[in-house]
Parts: sequence; C-alpha cells; structure tokens
Amino acid sequence: MSDQVPTRPAKIDGRRLRSERTKQLIIEAYLELAHELSPRVPTAAEIAGRAGYSVRSVFERFPDIRALQVAAVDYALAQVAALAPPRGVEGDRRSRIESQTLTRAQTCERWLPLWRSLIVNQGDSIELKDRVKKSRDWTMQRLELMYQPELATLSALERRQMLVALEAITDVESWARMREFFGLSFDEARLAWTQVIDRLLPRGSIHAASEDAAAGEGAASLKHPCRSPTE
Amino acid sequence: MSKPDRIDGRRRRSARTRQLVVDAYLALLRENPRVPTAAAIADRAGYSVRSIFERFPDLHALRIAATDEAMAKAAAYVAAHPPLGDRIERMRIHVVTRATVCQEWLPLWRALNLNQGDSAELKARIGLARQLIIRRIEEAYGPELSTLDELPRRQTVLAIETLVDFESWARMRELFGLEFAEACNVWIHAIDRLLPPTPAIS
Repeated sequence: MSDQVPTRPAKIDGRRLRSERTKQLIIEAYLELAHELSPRVPTAAEIAGRAGYSVRSVFERFPDIRALQVAAVDYALAQVAALAPPRGVEGDRRSRIESQTLTRAQTCERWLPLWRSLIVNQGDSIELKDRVKKSRDWTMQRLELMYQPELATLSALERRQMLVALEAITDVESWARMREFFGLSFDEARLAWTQVIDRLLPRGSIHAASEDAAAGEGAASLKHPCRSPTE
Repeated sequence: MSKPDRIDGRRRRSARTRQLVVDAYLALLRENPRVPTAAAIADRAGYSVRSIFERFPDLHALRIAATDEAMAKAAAYVAAHPPLGDRIERMRIHVVTRATVCQEWLPLWRALNLNQGDSAELKARIGLARQLIIRRIEEAYGPELSTLDELPRRQTVLAIETLVDFESWARMRELFGLEFAEACNVWIHAIDRLLPPTPAIS
C-alpha cells in the first residue's frame, strides 16, 4: 500500500499534462490553419491532421469547433499582449509615435489573417463578439497610454473624437489596404501611419494645443460642423 | 395589339421581374450578410425559383447584378452632392454624403466582402468602389492636396480613405454608440487636422 500511494497522483498528473499538451497542440494547429485558410474556418479533420491526432481527440478536448475557436482566439490575444508590450511610454512625441506605429504594424502584419477569420466567422457568437470588443478596447487603451500627453490637452469630447479617429486609422484593415490594395511596403505603410498620426495629434502642451487649434484652417468654424441630414 | 407592342410589353415585364429579383436579393442581404438561397429570393420577390434562373444564369450573376445596381445608386447619390464651397463646406458635403452612403450600403458592403470568395468580378467591384472613394477625396480636397508633394499627398489621401471606410463608420455607430451627426463630426475634425492649410485664391 505504502509503495503504491505516491505513484498514483504522479500518474494522473502525467495524464493531465499530456492532455493539456494535446489541447495546446490542437489550438496551435487551428491557428496555423486559420492563418493559411483565412477567412475559412478549418474543419475538424484538417485540424486533427495538422496536430497529428484523431478527430475524436479534438472533440474530447473541445465540445465543438466554436469552443476551439474561442480557446484559440484567447490564446492569440494573450500572445498579442505578450509580444506587444508598451514601449517608450515616457519618450518624446516623435519616439512615442514611432514606437506605437511599429508595435501596431507588427501586430497587424502578423495577425491579419486570423483577425479577418474572426471578424468573418464571429456570426452570432457572444463569446467571439466579446473577444473582438476586448481587442478593440485594448487598442484604444494602448492609444490612450501612448498619446496621453497630447490627449491631456483636449476636452473630453475632443479626446473621444481623437481616439475614435486614431483607432480608425490604425485599424487592422487599414493596414491591410495599405499593404494589399495600395501595394505599400511594410516601412512605407508604417511611415504613412507615423506622419498621419503626427498631423492628427495636437502639440504636447495646453499652450501649444491652443495655438495648434487656432492655426487649423477650419478650427474657428468647426465647433458644430455637422447636423443630421434630416435636420 | 401589334407584334412590336406585344414584344415591348413582354420585355418591360421581364425587366420589371429582373428588378424585383435584384431588390429582393438586396433586401435579404440587409437582414443577413450570408448569401440568400434561390428559394428565399424567389419567395421574397414573389416569383418562382425558375423565374430567377430565367433571368440570371446562376446566383453569382445575380450577385454581380445586385452589386452593380447598388454601386450605381450610391454613385448617383454622391454625384448629386458635389463638394463645392469653402473648406468647411466641402468637408461637410463630403462627410455627410459619405456617411449617408455608409449608413445605407454597409450591409451590402459587408456581404460583398464576406462572399467575394475567388470571384474576379466581385473583387473588381470592390476595387472600383475604393477607386471612386479616392477620386471623391481628391475632388473634395483638391485645393489643399495641390499644395503637397507626391508622398505626403498620397499619405493624406490614404489616411482620409481609411478614416471614411465603411467599417470605420460601423464602429463609430455600433461600437462607440455615436449618433449620425456625432460620427460625422469625428470625421470632419480628423480630416481638418489631416489637411494642410487651404491655399489663398490667386
């Protein structure tokens, strides 16, 4: 008895570890295939084949493909966060813009196929929609962090407008269009973001921001430029 | 009734049926971006499935016809609102027109992107739509863009094109919960910042 008791938990742990490892390999196989086949969702047979397991093994670990999709998106989001920590937050305006656009460009370049697959296949899934929202919130928080000195010079409304515009301009599909539709190289596309963000952001102090606004061609009459077309 | 009159009447009815089938297809896409089935389109249009395939060889041909119809309508709407006037007025006309097109055609645009697959015809239409958006930006902000060198000019046009994209509009409305006018103001303020000063008229 005393000989057998200690070995049992070790055996269970070993099984658990192998099961976790299998789960991880299935997720990685899914991500590889989702990247290659984007926006099509890979089939269970394709995933099993790539991971080197049976289809049954896949469904022993995930009740359905949607559950695997959610687990894979969570894993990818964790990777994005780990690989793209904020750099140079304390730097000057130029270096912060350089840093933010580089990080964002690398993220977009790497994750574009998976992002497209997620957007196209989210359907009515509350879990996937929630991940899309989390990812967008994360991007907004990063923009707020990186451009805090400039944003601090704006009113609450202006700050919100600025963040929405920055988010639109640095969206994943914005990157994709520059690269795929307009044929820009990585560096050219990144330079475009850098210069555009530099033009969008107010100068770094309250004094400079008011000068900046006054210098803006339409600034004086832009208080309420647009009403609904029905008005 | 003479023979040409009878033929004309038949042609008109056939064209009307064709139009109703396209309308039904577009109405279904507004409800769900997935390609509707022939049965669903026929049901919505009030015709038989056979009627659809008498007018379109397959659903792909119907999809192309519907895309062309939507693009023609959007282009006609845009053309009816030329961006004339001072800087603010041009920004306002450009943005409100663009926002109205986004609001009206977002479901179709999403469906087009979702279902383009390997279709060269649909990809060409997406490309054409983007070219029209760019031409409109160049038209609206010609005076300001004319003061820039080639590279910053290109960057500015690209930035405005990205800013006024369908999905950018969708995010402002759906994710950030902005009203139509609020969302227009976001675009106008950003475009104002992106553009260089307007040159003085010589």
